[in-house]
Amino acid sequence: MSTAYKPVSNSMLIDLKAYNTFAQMKEGLENKLALMTDLPIGSKVNLDIGKKILSNKQIRDLEDTLLDYGMHLDQLMSGRLDKDENVDLEEDQAPLIEDIKHYENTALICRHIRSGQKKFVPGNAVVLGDINPGAELIAGGNILVMGSLRGLAHAGVFGDEEAIITAYRLNPTQLRIATHITRPPDGERNEVDYPEVARIREGRVVIEKLKI
Amino acid sequence: MKSRVIVITSGKGGVGKTTTTANLGTALAMMGKRVVMIDTDIGLRNLDVVMGLENRIVFDIVDAVNGHCKLKQALIKDKRFEGLYLLPAAQTKDKTAVSPHQMKNMVNELRKEFDFILVDCPAGIEQGFKNAIAGADKAVVVATPEVSSVRDADRIIGLLEAAGLTQTKLIINRIRSKMVKRGDMMDTGDIIDILAIDLLGVVPEDEAIVVSTNRGEPAVMENMSRAGAAYRRIARRLNGEDVPIYSLEDPENIMDKFKKILKLAR
Repeated sequence: MSTAYKPVSNSMLIDLKAYNTFAQMKEGLENKLALMTDLPIGSKVNLDIGKKILSNKQIRDLEDTLLDYGMHLDQLMSGRLDKDENVDLEEDQAPLIEDIKHYENTALICRHIRSGQKKFVPGNAVVLGDINPGAELIAGGNILVMGSLRGLAHAGVFGDEEAIITAYRLNPTQLRIATHITRPPDGERNEVDYPEVARIREGRVVIEKLKI
Repeated sequence: MKSRVIVITSGKGGVGKTTTTANLGTALAMMGKRVVMIDTDIGLRNLDVVMGLENRIVFDIVDAVNGHCKLKQALIKDKRFEGLYLLPAAQTKDKTAVSPHQMKNMVNELRKEFDFILVDCPAGIEQGFKNAIAGADKAVVVATPEVSSVRDADRIIGLLEAAGLTQTKLIINRIRSKMVKRGDMMDTGDIIDILAIDLLGVVPEDEAIVVSTNRGEPAVMENMSRAGAAYRRIARRLNGEDVPIYSLEDPENIMDKFKKILKLAR
């Protein structure tokens, strides 16, 4: 088992997908970092952990390991969205994770995304239309909907907790940002007539009025 | 006049595709058009029953596409209207008995003879749906004011778009004005908001439909039926006439309006 690494834009990507246990993963990372003596102190590193799930403590452990070698964790990339085994995105997504150069791109979708349609965008997504119930939009970056968001939107799918979801009318069935999943409370429908934004604050997805 | 192939679809079952096909076909024939209605619900055929033509079936769509008979032999002439024909589905086969390619060829054959070709689509999004939309120029989506029906209609519109049918029109069926007024039922605006397509017409809930369906006489033939009137107006819109959307108001309210007009006249 080898640890592949390759420079991606400004930061380094270290591939840890091959390891089965966290202990092996940590050891592999340390071995790799020991070899990478030519990297400047303070470099940012992306870790690709494939389909494994790490606890917050384990993620901090990896961060500490990186810090021991003078590097910062930029992003933790995971092919898994949540603990649900049925999420069939994993297959589509795996090759795109490595393709992080596209991350800064923005895709403009000039149509309605209707029930049963699923759209994946590696970077930001702007929709000139609605996202209807039963439709899914998944983006590596931020999501901006110029119509009504009634379906499912997942921003920051690679783990970017800074990602936001905004919509002219935010009425989703479910919102996901990075690894956080939320839904509107049952039985409550407070309709508002202004655009809103969803983002993570203190580990929770909060929805507030969009102020520009 | 160039012939038009219109598929009537919905995704969800039981929203009134077959009733809509029967009524629009009959209404267009009443306007003097040459119309053929194709039932593509192979294995669960209904359109012949609704039209009251069940006992005249000799050959069906599967016989026609497989060359067991001539296409003209499978067409059943309506007992009431000149120029109205039905191509019935087979009852003993299933949807795989016909391919989209065969369907397309057959529809193109029918274009030579008819002004309107109405294709009654089965519920679902599988092979039957793919067959039904294969030769169509336009689609009409039927939805009832229920969340599940609207959801399925949305799915269908997406699939139609993917198949290159972009000018899809919407018929909202079985709307109950009293429930809408009470706020217990989605209204036309709510549905159009979600589906974002043009409205072709609104058909009110009408008990006469049940009676006419059971009797095999489409409701458009009855002057007193409100649903029938709505279908007649939709048929005129399909024919390119500019007809305002059917008023949702109850009959008594229309009477009130008359009274108002009379008062104003005085």
